[in-house]
Amino acid sequence: MSQRPSYAVGTGLFIVLGFAALGYLATQTTSVANSSRGPSYTVQAHFANIGQLKERAPVKVAGVRIGQVQSIMLDPSRETADVKLAIDQRYNQIPNDSVATIFTSGLLGDQYVGIQYGNSKKTVADGDTLALTRPAQQLEEMLGRFFGAGGAADNLSGSYLVKARFTNVGALSAGAPVKMAGVAIGSVQSVKADPVKLDAEVTLSIDKRYDQIPDDSAAAVFTSGLIGTQFVAIQPGGSPDMLKNGDEMVLTQSALQIEDLIGKFLVSGSSSDKKSPDAGKPDAGSKH
Amino acid sequence: MTDSVSAKPEDSALVRVRGLTTVLNGKKVFDALDMDIPRGKITAIMGPSGTGKTTLLKHITGQMRGDAGDVMVDGQSVSRLSRDKLFELRERIGYLFQNSALLTDFDVFENVAFPLRQHTQLPEVLIRNIVLTKLQAVGLRGAAGLMPSELSGGMARRVALARAIVFDPMLILYDEPFVGLDPIALNQVLKLIRTLNQTLGITSVLVAHELEAIKQVADHIYLIANGKVVAQGDPKTIANDGSPWTRQFFGGEADGPVPFQYPAGDLAASLGFPGRGA
Amino acid sequence: MSVPMSRDNIVLRSLSQIGDCGLFLLRILASVPRSLRHLRETVRQLWFVGAMSLIIIMVCGLFVGMVLGLQLYDVLSIFGGTSATGTVVAIAIYRELGPVVTALLFAGRAGTSVTAEIGLMRATDQIAAMEMMAVDPIAYVIVPRFLAGVIAMPLLCCVFCALGIFGGHLVGVSWLGIDNGTFWSNMTATVDLVKDVINGVLWKSVVFGTVVSLIAVFQGYTTPPTSEGVAYATTRTVVASSIAILALDFVLTAFLM
Repeated sequence: MSQRPSYAVGTGLFIVLGFAALGYLATQTTSVANSSRGPSYTVQAHFANIGQLKERAPVKVAGVRIGQVQSIMLDPSRETADVKLAIDQRYNQIPNDSVATIFTSGLLGDQYVGIQYGNSKKTVADGDTLALTRPAQQLEEMLGRFFGAGGAADNLSGSYLVKARFTNVGALSAGAPVKMAGVAIGSVQSVKADPVKLDAEVTLSIDKRYDQIPDDSAAAVFTSGLIGTQFVAIQPGGSPDMLKNGDEMVLTQSALQIEDLIGKFLVSGSSSDKKSPDAGKPDAGSKH
Repeated sequence: MTDSVSAKPEDSALVRVRGLTTVLNGKKVFDALDMDIPRGKITAIMGPSGTGKTTLLKHITGQMRGDAGDVMVDGQSVSRLSRDKLFELRERIGYLFQNSALLTDFDVFENVAFPLRQHTQLPEVLIRNIVLTKLQAVGLRGAAGLMPSELSGGMARRVALARAIVFDPMLILYDEPFVGLDPIALNQVLKLIRTLNQTLGITSVLVAHELEAIKQVADHIYLIANGKVVAQGDPKTIANDGSPWTRQFFGGEADGPVPFQYPAGDLAASLGFPGRGA
Repeated sequence: MSVPMSRDNIVLRSLSQIGDCGLFLLRILASVPRSLRHLRETVRQLWFVGAMSLIIIMVCGLFVGMVLGLQLYDVLSIFGGTSATGTVVAIAIYRELGPVVTALLFAGRAGTSVTAEIGLMRATDQIAAMEMMAVDPIAYVIVPRFLAGVIAMPLLCCVFCALGIFGGHLVGVSWLGIDNGTFWSNMTATVDLVKDVINGVLWKSVVFGTVVSLIAVFQGYTTPPTSEGVAYATTRTVVASSIAILALDFVLTAFLM
């Protein structure tokens, strides 16, 4: 073994290869790849609501990453979130009247800060604040508005029973909330198939406090959120008579296939998003 | 070494075994065994299979320790040596394994060089000279580049011998050096044992069964059985001492003090003939 | 090392094996300083257990990544989330498949050969010969193989993971048409250096490498020096390693979460 053994070279190569792989994994496939490597400057922005924004989330202009969220702190005096953005030094031509908005990448994706350029000749510098901001659009709120969903069920302190008939209840089950204007006012007591009329008879147990519901109100089966559980939403009518224990609601709207809805929503809403073609596949629901 | 123990036949013994008692798996392998290996001579240890001849060698090298008694090598009590001291002692002992035990990862040269590399920082040139000299001594200098798997049994044994003498030891222990060798290889090994003993003055201990070979080479023979030395002497006297042990062993009789039958119960009872004994 | 013969009960037997194994680990660790003289032997073993396992690790990593990409694309397309394919491939490989599959392959490829080699060295008296040449076989034979396994395993795991990502990319981007930028940006946005790469890839593979190497050298060193003993020990290396890897994987995951 006077000469260098051949395996020593091979072993050295092996070790180098292993560490190269580790370096690749660590720097190219993790969030480390996103951390700005060059010099950056810090800009502040105050948001009324940051939604799910996290530190190190990207900051983008026209969809191109220019930096990342450095820190998120609550401003105790003003009930706003104080977000510090670290922006690469290269991108130092941002007008100081630009608008910072919290966006969601895709439907279920992470949130990021998007900056839309303003018209000012002045550019933001280190330590400046972007005065114009738009808070996070809560997907739940959007869908809530869309579907009429709301918060959690109240504690019930006595209730009365109302029946409603649906041709299709979807995945509605006993215990699901009954909501009006997004607020839970009761729960589904039972879901039964009617052997004669061949539809679903749903018994709703509604809190006594809400005894001013017009008897021509409509009941609809909705889904909370995108892939959430289903609930019964009551849309008040205009009749002077109120629902009483044992009444039956005449106007009902059966469960819609959520996949269809999203398909429509996405195709019309954000066609530029990369996810939409897949999310909007009309046959997607049939695979369940 | 206590001087009260009288050195028996020789003026100076390299290895002294005193009262060695060893119990293995409930069987008494040695029962107060006494033995002296004279310095500079070739001593053969013989005995029926299973009498612990190899075990005795392991006691000499400190691989095993007796339950009682003592083994002294060059004045040092083996069982009381620390690990480092024991390793120092082993560097002065060569051991030839029954199956050569060459390191299969290395070629012949590296096998012989292995102890040198492990224990010295000698320059490569010197290592090369020593190794080639030892290989020359066993007649295998030309085989230096071969791998152990390419060697015949006799060649492997000679390589192992070259490895065992690479440090010019004071003592070589041969564990069955003649097993599985053809007559030519056997004579080669025999010649080597004699040459090494005569030219280098290395004390040699042989464990073997080959009577003719041993008669040619040994200066002193110990015959052990049942954990004791049952006969000893030089080859001529021991063959004629007339004890039943030597008669059976050297005469090759099937039955004698060493029974043909392994201890067992009554044959008839084992075969299932009840009542015959009644 | 041996324990009295009351080894009929499988629980007792397993426990005593684990105990013996732990004691053996202490012996190994105690011999590490002495084995520093045999650094060259460690390098040589690193070649045998590490570099020689590269091919199988790379091929398997590539295919695992490819099949993950295919499966995840299929499932994620139900939810319209195929752009998350890269993310999920990376997380699945880093956190679980990379360390576990690498360790299982390593046990099968390197662990068995180490066990068989040491067992045969015992059977052919090579270990005893080293003892006789005043070379400590623990320091010369066992420790280099053990250390080589501990060092090689994380390196192999990194290679496996890198190839897995490449395989996922190959299927997801080149074949199924996920946008290249989406693939990487979603991955880099979600995969975390500490949680996924350090805790997942590195920590797990170091622990697995230690355990597999320990089992392999222990089984080799303590096997009866016969041909059937060696065969049996080789089998036990694979069985014990596999169980240990999967059980430890659960424990580690619970701790590192």
